[in-house]
Amino acid sequence: MRVPLSPFWGLYARELLRTFRNPFVLILTIVQPFMWLAFFGSSFALLPASALESVTGTTATSYIQFLLPGVLSTSMLTVGMFGSMSTIQDKRFGFMKRILITPTSKGTVFVTKALGSASRGLVQFPIMIAAALLFGVSLRLSPLEWAAWIGGLMLLAIGFCSLFLAITARSTDWQTPGVVSNFITMPLMFSSGALFSSAHFPAWMQAISDYNPITFSALLGRSFVLGTATDWWYLGYLALFAGVMLSIGYFVSSRFLRVE
Amino acid sequence: MAEDAIVVDHLSKTYGSGDRAIRALVDVDLSIRSGTVFGLLGPNGAGKTTLIKALTGITEITAGDARVAGYNIRTQPMEAKARIGWVAAEVILDDDFTARENLWLQAKLQSLKGWESRADDLLAYFSLADRADDKVSHFSTGMRKKLEIALALLHQPRVIFMDEPTMGLDVSTRRMLWDIVTQVRKEFDVTVLLTTHYIEEADALCERIAIIDHGRILAEGTPSELKARVSGDIVQLETAEAVDPTLFASIAGVQEARPQGNDWMIRVGSSEAFLPQLFRRIQSDQIRKISVEKPSLETVFLDITGRRIGDDEPIRDVRRFYAQMQRARR
Repeated sequence: MRVPLSPFWGLYARELLRTFRNPFVLILTIVQPFMWLAFFGSSFALLPASALESVTGTTATSYIQFLLPGVLSTSMLTVGMFGSMSTIQDKRFGFMKRILITPTSKGTVFVTKALGSASRGLVQFPIMIAAALLFGVSLRLSPLEWAAWIGGLMLLAIGFCSLFLAITARSTDWQTPGVVSNFITMPLMFSSGALFSSAHFPAWMQAISDYNPITFSALLGRSFVLGTATDWWYLGYLALFAGVMLSIGYFVSSRFLRVE
Repeated sequence: MAEDAIVVDHLSKTYGSGDRAIRALVDVDLSIRSGTVFGLLGPNGAGKTTLIKALTGITEITAGDARVAGYNIRTQPMEAKARIGWVAAEVILDDDFTARENLWLQAKLQSLKGWESRADDLLAYFSLADRADDKVSHFSTGMRKKLEIALALLHQPRVIFMDEPTMGLDVSTRRMLWDIVTQVRKEFDVTVLLTTHYIEEADALCERIAIIDHGRILAEGTPSELKARVSGDIVQLETAEAVDPTLFASIAGVQEARPQGNDWMIRVGSSEAFLPQLFRRIQSDQIRKISVEKPSLETVFLDITGRRIGDDEPIRDVRRFYAQMQRARR
């Protein structure tokens, strides 16, 4: 007897199991955002309150408090890169062929890679929260706010994983995800409101920021962390971003995913 | 009479287009009877792996058609894939997983329910039961090959594709695998399509063999039928200088003499009768190298293609490499 969705759960579980059995990848996933928080976050530690308010455009009591949702959001970009690297590894070691000689579609492979990588990225969340608490950030969120924050990050990660997987669908070169990451990460990170308030951006950069999904995720999380009014539409924008990217990635992978 | 497990109908596969087009398979026709071990014998680049990719739905067919396990691989790929197993040249397993977890994942990919008892039976059959919960990264090459065959058998397929399954294995592991292939075919009632460039492997394992080269099936039959195509012996001769072709025609028993530069492939009724006559006509110092081969799949391949199956193989033997370089300079 055949079980529907069985390949999906099998491949999804494989993605997660492989991560937890590979301490090196796990440590790398966690260390990078932690470094951002520790070093970049501390760089404004001695800034007077009025200057901090000017830089952040908020009532954040410390730069780390302001930065936490932003760093978590930008780290979802890296998750996309790891997702496409794992796909290329499967192609090069022949595992993709093993999968696709079974009644498992390319679309299923894509969705499990996108969701698996996104879920893996969320491993950073509790670690970063713990780190922020250690740095003295006060977090008083309701269960709904916690869920919405995590949900928003998950949607952002799904979107970026889908984007990376679509771009690298035909590639078998280890270096491609890194090149794509360099091309995408910097502009998206600095043109978002993740690291600084976008109020000081020039008009053209402000325009990019207004449509940058990292901005939506950072502002959503920041509203919870700072206890300010939440614009719930941000969650809707992130869902739209994830949905559109997932659809594009599904289409591209179903047609163009290379087996080896 | 049982339906053929694999039917290939005028199948062609071309990579690229225009001037850069590479015709990997050209008008291939094959019928493989259920429950047999069928061999595709050919050198590297002959089209063996491409044919397996086409029959497993991994690559799109450019023209023609194929039915695998009763299903059209173009129009019913998922139905066909649910009934095929695959053993690769290189072992492809999840090294971070245990043997049982690899079987679990294969069961998930095949959407199987109640696979556990079948997995236990296979682990026991392949003498892996006591290592079932060990990571496969700790397995020997032979154990990994056995596990890979167990994965291929888990969903009770009708057809197993084995793409150069013994490539790179040492002699004893290769022999072990030959025994396994023979047993598996009998005990699990599957059809095995095996590709190889090892002549002795095809001869030992396959009930029928197709010789493939440059994407075309050049001959097909049982090993005995193929060997019967070559009547007499094949003498390979390398001379220091060019030889007048009429020389061979004047020797009794010569059926054919094919030149390849200063090399000659001469088909004779009996090498025992031919050689003394040859030595009377050619000075011994003119002969650089001479060899005689009795009918075998090697001579069949030589007879059909005019070259040896290993001629295009990458050179791994340094001495052989230098010998070839010296010959090329001469």
